[in-house]
Amino acid sequence: MKIETTRFGVMEIDERKIVSMPFGMLGFPRSQRFVLFPHKEDSPFFWYQSLDDPALAFVITSPFLFVSGYSVDLQETIQRMSWEDPESGASFELYVVVTIPMGSPEKMTANLIGPILINNKTRQAVQMVLSESPYSHRFPLFENQ
Amino acid sequence: MLILTRKLGEQIAIGEDIRITLLEIKGSQAKLGIEAPRSIGIYRHEVYDKILTENRMSSAIHSPDVSLAEALLRKPRR
Repeated sequence: MKIETTRFGVMEIDERKIVSMPFGMLGFPRSQRFVLFPHKEDSPFFWYQSLDDPALAFVITSPFLFVSGYSVDLQETIQRMSWEDPESGASFELYVVVTIPMGSPEKMTANLIGPILINNKTRQAVQMVLSESPYSHRFPLFENQ
Repeated sequence: MLILTRKLGEQIAIGEDIRITLLEIKGSQAKLGIEAPRSIGIYRHEVYDKILTENRMSSAIHSPDVSLAEALLRKPRR
């Protein structure tokens, strides 16, 4: 299907790749359908583009590229999302939201306390809120690659 | 802002299905129990605020800045 985006114009996407977020991203509850694609081939950065708002897209990356041993407890989230039986062939993807200050890319950071968890089986996702986490919401990426 | 005074064990009802119970008071700290539907996110405000700010900043990034950041990461380590 074709989708409209402000940054990338009209894009052709595979409908099966659509991720639905029943609760949206924090602060953006009305955008509930997203699609994920790499910034460029082999890029560590991905765009998490809303299908409900052409102008809304987040930059995300895999925390595991930068933080060795990054781990989060999924139990509560699985329960909240009613993802029953997570053991039966469910596979998850985890991403973190990146910020890149304009003109100062070396100051790029990742938010390790609000990861996006995607359930590949249900194609649903949720932004987790890690309240008692040892991780930073502004983890520097340049220094930790 | 609506201000209510509650004693230990007393509750506040918000709409049909949200209940807040005052469970414990210790000095300047109060422990609250919150019952709400799963669809409602309940967060410590300062944590919520941090994530909201990062989300907003991320959603304001332009594509060329991602290319610049990516180029930095691809430089070999010295």
